[in-house]
Amino acid sequence: MLDLNALTQAVGDLDESAVVEMLEAFVASNPSGEEAYSVVGACQQGMAIVGELFENNEYFVGDLIFAGELLTKSIDILRPVISGADSKKIGSIVVGTVEGDLHDIGKNIFASMVEAAGFEVYDLGIDVTPSAFVDKVKEVKPQIVGMSGVLTLAIDSMKATVDALKEAGVRDNIKIIIGGNPVTEDACKQIGADAFTTNAAEGVKKCQGWVN
Amino acid sequence: MTEMLALSQERTQLFHDLIDNKIPKRVPVNAMFAHEFAIQYAGQDLTEAQWDVNGLEPIFNKTCQDFYSDLLPVSAFRLPSFYKILGSRNFVMGSSGFLQHPEVEGLAIEDYDAFIASPFDCIVEKVLPKLYSKLDTDSATKAMVMAKAFKAFNDDMGNVGRIYGNLIQNFGYGFVNLFSGFCEAPFDFLSDQLRGFKNISIDVRRVPDKVEAAVEAVTPWMIKMGTPPDPSPYNATFIPLHMAPYLRGKDFNRLYWPTFKRTVEGLKANGMRSFLFVEHDWMRYLDYLAELPEGTVMMFEYGDPKLVKEKLGKKHIIGGFYPVSLLKTGTKEQCIDKAKELIDILAPGGRYFFSFDKVIITLDSANVENTKAVLDYVAENANY
Repeated sequence: MLDLNALTQAVGDLDESAVVEMLEAFVASNPSGEEAYSVVGACQQGMAIVGELFENNEYFVGDLIFAGELLTKSIDILRPVISGADSKKIGSIVVGTVEGDLHDIGKNIFASMVEAAGFEVYDLGIDVTPSAFVDKVKEVKPQIVGMSGVLTLAIDSMKATVDALKEAGVRDNIKIIIGGNPVTEDACKQIGADAFTTNAAEGVKKCQGWVN
Repeated sequence: MTEMLALSQERTQLFHDLIDNKIPKRVPVNAMFAHEFAIQYAGQDLTEAQWDVNGLEPIFNKTCQDFYSDLLPVSAFRLPSFYKILGSRNFVMGSSGFLQHPEVEGLAIEDYDAFIASPFDCIVEKVLPKLYSKLDTDSATKAMVMAKAFKAFNDDMGNVGRIYGNLIQNFGYGFVNLFSGFCEAPFDFLSDQLRGFKNISIDVRRVPDKVEAAVEAVTPWMIKMGTPPDPSPYNATFIPLHMAPYLRGKDFNRLYWPTFKRTVEGLKANGMRSFLFVEHDWMRYLDYLAELPEGTVMMFEYGDPKLVKEKLGKKHIIGGFYPVSLLKTGTKEQCIDKAKELIDILAPGGRYFFSFDKVIITLDSANVENTKAVLDYVAENANY
């Protein structure tokens, strides 16, 4: 069994070659599904370190993107030994870039971080209409909806989406978080969202707070 | 007409004083609206009107009539005609018709060496066919598509240029053009059009030597691209900055800053001043910005205006900081108070022009009445 603390630290350090070496050796040792999940957990804890370093201005957005890539690569290496076993989800979240906006980098960072934090993530992609959000919310009944945007025009689309969720009678069953360059506290109030953030790590914490 | 000419000269003087490091009569105002805003403000349909450049004249007229500015406040930078002909993947419309830049990969990771050996050849042979689907074909067809796209581009830009001339004359705007050239910081060019935001973030960690060699290789091309045929110390080359806030300091120091600084210095040597849109948060890089050639124009999106004034205000020309988001959500009084606050900090000693923190791109980006009120307030009250 590999040293879980060392793995967590290597993920936190974004030390790709060390992480890959440890995981490949682990997979080669023919571990049980349970052991494999403790290794996934150690990777997730490493992502939490990445989030902390980001909040402390030691890491920046480019590092979060690399961390997402490292996590994907890690899960790919582990896949042969984790398939079949059940992972426990702490909640579910529907995310998307709102109507009129095609920017998805921030949305993807947030989606990979909430996934690493244990959420089931339903990603609707970019330029998502209010009705597409409503349909998905009705279908999967998530606890949280996350709306993203970069252009200033996204604010009105976010408001239109919240209004559509209200009209469909599902607004009160969910928490709504908005993120991206144009969101502010005042915009959040106008839109009628529950929380806003321009910092993915902070957004993850808010979502965790809602389901705990 | 002579009245308008006198107004033009007065406004030109404001900007010449700004550039020559003299205290102007009052704080110059540079409002900036995209053509998408102007189309919607004129009550027209964006999905249709942006295809007909001739129709932009009355559309721009309305924005010019209603919003105060000392320089031409409208521009049509990206038009769909030529992007459509090219089958563009790097500029595409959202469902509302707003043309934007999605995440794209123009340069494959295995093509770094070809790019480093000859950026121009690599762009023509490998990058353009990836970014423009209609160029991904045989040479003869590609040449025809390219010729058609350039015809459309030249027609549109020629018409837009004619309209700008009319507007400057009719509204008495100053004869200073802060957009007379355009280029990017070498690292931003490599990120935005070639590798994409996600790939470059990974490249910085996996293949930093290639990234460094690529930005070095493209630097002379950025200087060439940013130098207009008629350089003037009273015009500027626009450089929208992008990636630096997303990098760690040590990556910025190695991969972003050296070639960007050389680009700005190279433009200066060619007789051009740079106009930087300092996008996102550059507060940890102010000491670097202080190293740029004297009189570089910088429009800030975020940050502490006091700190910027203190560190850069004597050497460079500062604008921006006024949040467009406040124009959207604030009351008229709050909006005017914000303008007062910024002017009190940034205007003393000169080297400051009033502008918002970004171009206003669409009608729903700001409250129109607040926007008018703020521009009028500054024009009437920010006297030295």
